[in-house]
Amino acid sequence: MQRNRLVLLAVAAAIAVVVVVVAVVVLGTGGGSSTPTTTGAIIDSSGSGGTEAQSIFKGIPQHGDTLGKATASAVLTVYEDPQCLFCRQWDVDTLPTVVANYVRTGRIQLQYHGIPIIGENSIAGLRAIYAAGIQSKLWNMTVALYERQGEENSGWITIPVLKDAAVEVGAKPAKLITDADSKQVTAELKASFNDAKAAKVGGTPTFVLQKTLGVPQVLNVTGLEPDQFTPTLDAALQQ
Amino acid sequence: MRLRAAIAVVCLIGIAIAAYLTYVHYAHVAPVCTSGGCEKVQHSKYAELSGIPVALLGLIGYAVLFGATLLRGLYAAFGAAVVALAGLAFSGYLLWAQLGPIGAICIWCVGNDITMLVVATLCVVRLLREQ
Repeated sequence: MQRNRLVLLAVAAAIAVVVVVVAVVVLGTGGGSSTPTTTGAIIDSSGSGGTEAQSIFKGIPQHGDTLGKATASAVLTVYEDPQCLFCRQWDVDTLPTVVANYVRTGRIQLQYHGIPIIGENSIAGLRAIYAAGIQSKLWNMTVALYERQGEENSGWITIPVLKDAAVEVGAKPAKLITDADSKQVTAELKASFNDAKAAKVGGTPTFVLQKTLGVPQVLNVTGLEPDQFTPTLDAALQQ
Repeated sequence: MRLRAAIAVVCLIGIAIAAYLTYVHYAHVAPVCTSGGCEKVQHSKYAELSGIPVALLGLIGYAVLFGATLLRGLYAAFGAAVVALAGLAFSGYLLWAQLGPIGAICIWCVGNDITMLVVATLCVVRLLREQ
């Protein structure tokens, strides 16, 4: 009797394992379309819409370099370089919290200002990021590039990387590559550089909060993780 | 009877966790989190299986396991063991994903893993004992 039960248990375990293996491999969260990156993260490059980058921003209005409702009572401008390691840390670890708790709720609107602090290769990334903005995917593209980030000035920002990221975020890769060299993108980049110069931005990431009718205020953040960043943001919003 | 009642109680804990994570997924809100990694895990591609939130799959699994505690007999015990062991195996896979590719731990997922481990153990004992 007991032996029969052990056989039944073995059958149950076998069925369970088969079900899970089929679910994972065939339906696939971590299936064969994943590409390891230099940072060790795994990114969906199947072209199915890049769930990781897209789900954060799903349903939030995105126009050019802004993310969130224009009626928000404050604009948080984020100065970043796609090669900057700390920018990556903020985008990957903290941006989801900021989007969920401040942007989605209509409290703030995010504005992206890219500046090439690290090196020449940053410009290629920034051009692609602003080109994604033409397709209303700038913020998605920013995160997608950080997920692919390599060593500083190693030349990791290449056309294949940009196309792969474009596919992941649901942008048209060919159009993005073409737009990256357009006059519109060049003008937006220049405007961003000039704005950073006027704001005396000396490094990335830099965060500047401007409330409606208020004066731009540089956030002196103590850290880039959510539990370090959000208290500073809260305090600035309450002032 | 006591064993089935114990499974039912643990399933209710699992249902509560899975229901909260399902709500978080669809409401696009940040989960209450002490580990600091919940959102990263929730926004990772591992949070969905073929477009279905894994939290919702967990909720369905716990509901099925809870339903099985209302039934007597070997078939119910066998079915519950299959579902619970599948849940445990999938929880193990998601724990691997957190420790490896995602690089962040979601405390809610760990809570679910422990709950599923207890449920699976109880379901195995039930299968071995069921008359």
